[in-house]
Amino acid sequence: MYKQPITSKPGSVTARLPFSASFLPLAMELVAKGAGGFGYKDREASSLVLAMEELFSFYARQVAGDSVLEIILEDQGYRLALTLAFQMAHPDLRAFNLTWRVNPDNEESLEMLGPMLAARTVSSLRMDFGADELVVLRVTRDRDYAPARNVALPPPDLTQAIRLVAPSADDVRHFAAMTASSSATFMPKFLTRPGMAADMFAAGHLHALLANSGDWIIGGVLWRPLTDTCLELYGPYLFTNDPDDLVLTLLLDEAIGRIARSAYRGVLRRQGALARHERFFDFLGDLELQGVDGMTKHCVYYYRQLREDSGGVVYCNDPLAAFLHTQYERLCLPRQVRARVSDDAQLRDTSVLAIELEQARSLAIIRPLCAGKDMATNLAAHLELLRRNGISNFQVEINTGRGDDTAFAGPLADTGFVPRLLVPDAGLGDLVIYDHGARDGLS
Amino acid sequence: MNLDALIPDYVRRFQAYVPSKPDHLLMQEYGAPRLHRLNNNENALGPSPAAASVIAGFPPGQAAIYPSGDSYDLRIALGDRCGIAADRFLVGNGSCEVISSVIKAFCQPGDNIITADKTFAVYEWVAEFSGIEARLVPLRDYTFDPQGILDQIGPKTKVLFLCNPNNPTGSYWTRQTLIDFLEKVGGDKIVVVDEAYREYVEDPEYPDSIALMERFPNLVAFRTLSKMYALAGLRVGYLVGAEPVVAVVRRTSVAYSVNALAQQAALAALSDDTAHIAATRSLVREGRAFLCQVCSDLGLETIGGEGNYLMIRTPINDMLMYRRLMKRGMMVRTMTAFRFPGWIRVTYREMSVMVSFAEALAEEMRLMPMISGAT
Ligand SMILES: Cc1ncc(COP(=O)(O)O)c(C=O)c1O
Repeated sequence: MYKQPITSKPGSVTARLPFSASFLPLAMELVAKGAGGFGYKDREASSLVLAMEELFSFYARQVAGDSVLEIILEDQGYRLALTLAFQMAHPDLRAFNLTWRVNPDNEESLEMLGPMLAARTVSSLRMDFGADELVVLRVTRDRDYAPARNVALPPPDLTQAIRLVAPSADDVRHFAAMTASSSATFMPKFLTRPGMAADMFAAGHLHALLANSGDWIIGGVLWRPLTDTCLELYGPYLFTNDPDDLVLTLLLDEAIGRIARSAYRGVLRRQGALARHERFFDFLGDLELQGVDGMTKHCVYYYRQLREDSGGVVYCNDPLAAFLHTQYERLCLPRQVRARVSDDAQLRDTSVLAIELEQARSLAIIRPLCAGKDMATNLAAHLELLRRNGISNFQVEINTGRGDDTAFAGPLADTGFVPRLLVPDAGLGDLVIYDHGARDGLS
Repeated sequence: MNLDALIPDYVRRFQAYVPSKPDHLLMQEYGAPRLHRLNNNENALGPSPAAASVIAGFPPGQAAIYPSGDSYDLRIALGDRCGIAADRFLVGNGSCEVISSVIKAFCQPGDNIITADKTFAVYEWVAEFSGIEARLVPLRDYTFDPQGILDQIGPKTKVLFLCNPNNPTGSYWTRQTLIDFLEKVGGDKIVVVDEAYREYVEDPEYPDSIALMERFPNLVAFRTLSKMYALAGLRVGYLVGAEPVVAVVRRTSVAYSVNALAQQAALAALSDDTAHIAATRSLVREGRAFLCQVCSDLGLETIGGEGNYLMIRTPINDMLMYRRLMKRGMMVRTMTAFRFPGWIRVTYREMSVMVSFAEALAEEMRLMPMISGAT
């Protein structure tokens, strides 16, 4: 969570401006000139400029007259990250509901959708709310990278000894091209764009371990932080026959060994199924994603803890409690589920949701911020609005350690969301992931 | 307060070790009707009779009095036992404390220490949170690799930490291997051998490190009363080395860190160890024969050697196996943090516990097709 006063880093531009409409041109100019200065092309820069315009105008209207906006534009090598942070003395958090003041039946009112419009042009958009009424909006725009070209793959039956190597950025670039040529399924974007993988690796945002045999790279595994407590692992991708899982085991054991003494509490893998996964991972469940191409993809979630579990207590009611009981039992997690005693009449009138949009997967991740009496209608309105904007996948993430989150359990069930899986320790407590779909006859 | 600005980078990066919770909480959380700790390599026999009686008879009035600030009597006894000067010993609040003193005594930012990647983690941790680089050399055949370590030595290398026998693999260097290594290192690095489990080793080829210090004054040994002597709860360990080396380390040690009861119990334990060591070795021998057979019958691979512990390769990830065994009241050590993912380490205990553990393990293995089938 962003909380420090701004200190300038070499790859970043920072500024503090009055948060009012008359400074909008300066804010846009800052992004445009800054992006240019970091060597980004006009096309890449202009989507962030547009995002700045939409977000600035939308939120400047909500804040008090004397508010200050802090802007950080950071070059992370493979992408530009724009952070807008401001304080609101008495925030009317409804303003952060995408659906606030939007009447889906009225095309005109879609004009209010600054954040939606901003999100369309960038790679990701996320809102966070910190202590001291701090609001942080983050948008990123990836550099445009050329798609992978075909490269040669090793013959399937190499017999030379296998060596694990810590790769260079160029090795990672070549490895990405190999995964693309091997037509592996479940390729994250950075593997389909080898230049991106190399730049991410150089920036320290991606880690990798490769297996070599003779002159060939025969496989590899990659990982990067997903949250403050959880890493995401990709692969292993293997290019030769591996009948006894020899290379797979070498790669996974060494990778887990390398991250075992880090700050992270767990590793998540969410790609296709991994045969004989059990020595490495616990099976969490799977989610369906509708691809932009219309194809359905199954994301199988595997997880392993990196530290011995230290227990916990969750306060919630059915139907979430029943789901948690089953999951905790199945995964042998030491958690106590206690009934949540709360009075719905005490809830504030309006609930608030934050949205993260990922255009490439047409995915909206919805996160509760505040519980309220209108939770079910608010969820339904968000669904409707996001659908109208072409989003086809919806996930809700709730933290079992946060009362405002668990209060959503009933309304989520009422609006057709189904808890699919639980990721231990991945948030404030565990993270429960819901999706929304006609799967299993549910809608 | 801007706490962040106060913290050195290497402390900010460091992740604190989280010890396990007390037994009653663990039992409640896992719904376990009992809890057997097979995770900390403690000695299930408990302290020797002499040590036990000192502990039972500790006069409460002495709790009000500071102990000897440098464990005077204990050092005299250690010196007599080994036939060397008492000043060559430095007693600490567990041998973990002397690890810290050694690093503080010899290393400054920019320096490095060398140890293995898969060994007791405290050498690496203390170095890291003190801003000292820890160079990690992979084990070779589950053993400290002399050449690998030599290859990593640079001008800024100050201390080499060897764990002999190694926790968790149980492998050890013989006298000859250690001598060859010390000769190649030369005299300008400190070589520490951590001998926490030395009393478990019966092989006559196991080195007598104190005898080697004549020839290699840069050699330092760590020993502890926590393992064989079963005083882990009182926290006593010590370092022994050449007098000038120990004098330097003493500068970075905190006097009065070893409490009065610990000093007295340690004295008693050392005076009465022959039968105790024999009984413990016999318990370990019996436990090892039994557990290795059980694992072999279950088709589970093991790594073991000296010391009162055995590593077992698990068919499911070690964290899940830990949680499953916890539900059955069996607490083992997961090996992920030792960089051995997919392995657990089990401490040998009295046979009744070993049998219960074997039953729990066998039951888990019986359920394995169901666990792994869940895709
Ligand atoms: C190799 C090794 N050295 C040192 C120690 C710590 O011992 P003490 O209790 O004396 O701090 C242990 C304990 O697990 C150990 O395994």
